[in-house]
Amino acid sequence: MHMPKWFVPATVVCGLMFAVAPVLIAQAPYESTMGLVQKIFYVHLPSAWVFLLSAIVCGVASIRYLFGGNPRHDRTAWAAAELVVLFGAITLITGPLWARKAWGVWWLWDVRLTSSLMGWMVAVAYMLLRKYGGPGSEKLGAGLALFGMANVPFIYISVNYWRTIHPTTSVVPTLPTSFGLPLWFSAVTFLLMFVLLLRLRVGLEEQRARLDGLYLATDE
Amino acid sequence: MIRLLFLVVILFVRGAGSDALLLGQGVGPADPQPQQQEEFVPIDELPAQDQLPAAPLLVAAYSFVALALFAYVVSVARRMATVQRELERLESDLKRSGRT
Repeated sequence: MHMPKWFVPATVVCGLMFAVAPVLIAQAPYESTMGLVQKIFYVHLPSAWVFLLSAIVCGVASIRYLFGGNPRHDRTAWAAAELVVLFGAITLITGPLWARKAWGVWWLWDVRLTSSLMGWMVAVAYMLLRKYGGPGSEKLGAGLALFGMANVPFIYISVNYWRTIHPTTSVVPTLPTSFGLPLWFSAVTFLLMFVLLLRLRVGLEEQRARLDGLYLATDE
Repeated sequence: MIRLLFLVVILFVRGAGSDALLLGQGVGPADPQPQQQEEFVPIDELPAQDQLPAAPLLVAAYSFVALALFAYVVSVARRMATVQRELERLESDLKRSGRT
């Protein structure tokens, strides 16, 4: 399979960053009220950002596919939808592990958690539709991805407009350097991981498209 | 009128007295002193979240992240290997039949 030249060096850099990130996280100070469990923050928040970014990439690629009809955009949308499921699962598992200690409960049906779960379920629905929907499911899936993308700003601003115990979006801009450095390092690592996984997954779809082309050639 | 003046004087004296007291202690109202402990609280009477150890939750979270990412990379690699094998088989079939 043909991969771009930057893929292998970027993979090495990403691997090194994943090795260094735990050191920075371990050196970060304990938060005054939550203590040790607050260190889940350094994987929970970056995975949540990548979860939302994947939903946006999936939605934009779907719009381009719906209006342009280029199969390349459909392949990108499908690859991004799978990453919505992956990073959404990480967010929705690490969040309750943190909440159990910080809030005393695994889950609350508040607006941030519920809308995130809905966004993840839209991506799962997209995957099921693409896998079992048969011919024409790519356009239906693209329509569904638009709802997934429309949910993203709602998830992001929900904590500022509705009463919830989830921290607001003002936490990150006000972080001191001791908390901010490991967070941003972890965020860049997750972002690089997202780019690499997206490229890898698009590559798989390209191979499948080539395989379909060969099957058509053998049928003729 | 005299009663009102008397009340104002009393309030002023009490307020100044309490301020003087605070200044003397060097502690402002924003800096409450820690409560003196009158009894020891058994661990089973603490709120549920305070009884939980944090380390297993933290380890579970980081382990899940590592496992999820690893499982996904393995899953994509296996799917790619399957497609690659199929591609090679089809291409060799096409070459044999002379249709490439």
